[in-house]
Amino acid sequence: MKVRVDPERCQGHTLCSMIAPKVFELDDIDGHSSPVSEDVPADQEANVAEAVRSCPEQAISIS
Amino acid sequence: MSAEEVLDETGRKKNRYHFDRHTPEYRSQFESITEDMHARCPVAWSDTYGGHWVAAGNHEVFELARSAEYLSNDHDVNHERRGYQGITIPTPEGLQFQGGFLEMDPPEQRQYRQLLNPYLSPAAVSRWIPLVDEVARACLDEKIETGRIDFVDDLANVVPAVLTLAMMGIPLQNWAIYCEPVHAAVYTPPDSPDMPQVRERQVEMFQDMLAQLAKIREAPRPGLIDALGAAVINGRTPPDMELIGVMALIIGGGFDTTTALTAHALEWLAEHPDQRDRLHRERDTLLDPATEEFLRFFTPAPGDGRTISADCEIAGTRFKEGERLWLSWAMANRDPAVFPDPNQVDLARTGNRHHSFGLGIHRCIGSNVARMVFKRMLIAVLDRMPGYRCDAGGAVHYETIGIIQGMRHLPATFTPGARIGPGLAETIETMQRLCDEQRLAEPVTVRKAQADVG
Repeated sequence: MKVRVDPERCQGHTLCSMIAPKVFELDDIDGHSSPVSEDVPADQEANVAEAVRSCPEQAISIS
Repeated sequence: MSAEEVLDETGRKKNRYHFDRHTPEYRSQFESITEDMHARCPVAWSDTYGGHWVAAGNHEVFELARSAEYLSNDHDVNHERRGYQGITIPTPEGLQFQGGFLEMDPPEQRQYRQLLNPYLSPAAVSRWIPLVDEVARACLDEKIETGRIDFVDDLANVVPAVLTLAMMGIPLQNWAIYCEPVHAAVYTPPDSPDMPQVRERQVEMFQDMLAQLAKIREAPRPGLIDALGAAVINGRTPPDMELIGVMALIIGGGFDTTTALTAHALEWLAEHPDQRDRLHRERDTLLDPATEEFLRFFTPAPGDGRTISADCEIAGTRFKEGERLWLSWAMANRDPAVFPDPNQVDLARTGNRHHSFGLGIHRCIGSNVARMVFKRMLIAVLDRMPGYRCDAGGAVHYETIGIIQGMRHLPATFTPGARIGPGLAETIETMQRLCDEQRLAEPVTVRKAQADVG
């Protein structure tokens, strides 16, 4: 599984990092999210799917 | 209007709903009105307040809120642009006031947010946790021996106010100048005999804000006001009144909303003691989703107004430039298409993409503050007053929920306990000293460490 956060859509709601803190890191300055790595560890796939469902801006995509 | 135009108007506004969110009935019938609108007209035209659109469906609110190219937040108080009226429907009577960057459009709006983000990001906000814990501790210590507390007056009004002032760089002892007028301005109906007194106290507060801005410009001390006082927005120094509008936005956003969320959550938990015990026990995993669920269910700020800035078609409705639109976060948060059993509180709800902080470019800039302060106050109560009971009939909710879904009072009783530290006045003095010594209100770009409260 690969994950991407659309920086144009992300507004820093931070739900993704609450759900999957090992996968999403938040910018210190504006709190916007980016994946630590494009490749999602197998044990994080369920959390990432939940982050996709939870993103208020629908900014996260997986492939 | 030609016959053709009349027909077109009728077609555009075929979904009609008499929507008046400032009536007590909207509060008492919120669930049935919401269900009705979701089923019949997720976007409707209402003739109230000079006529405006109302978006209630989750999908519709989502699409609209994120269409910044067709929506304006501008409140053009000096009639310099297109005369748009900002985010309040109807426009308040009397002196017109621009509500900070929430009533601006980009690029100015974006520049203000970029200026303030380093004070309000998750990393910036987490530095304040020890101070918030101390203030909450002192609030509870004031009452712990008596076995009686009003969770609004004695806790949920105090902690957000003290923290907001700390972040701004305003002396903490001034919190009482700010606290009551901010809440009273929201819950006092415009025609109330109390209104003149509320206005008087608001004037006092604005005078203090102006004084603080001038003092901080003269002798800088860190905080949000310091950033604003030195701001250059779109190549110019903003007029003081514009900065006061930004300060009022931060104060208004920082106070009443978090108070409202906390009071409602504490009331709900008292009504569901099994869920309260569960949250207490499983807080490591449950506190985050429970916070989001309380945010969804109680939606402290129930919506925002916009003005359509260009003719457009969004989510199946054709809008015309200049029309007003109400985006109902509160109703979008109850849409069964996104939230199964939307009228039930489920502390462990998943996929909870609620709209309580708004969406898109105007999303609440203080959301990280709100979540942190709420969680710390809730934990403090659960730890020290785990079996509290709210007085039957003692809770006072705001009569209407047009602006904030808030509470004025939430009296409760609990098994008395022992104090573990100094009272509120002494604690506020100590916290002020720490703010000054450790320069806690610096942006996260300057200071990364947590507050050290010893």
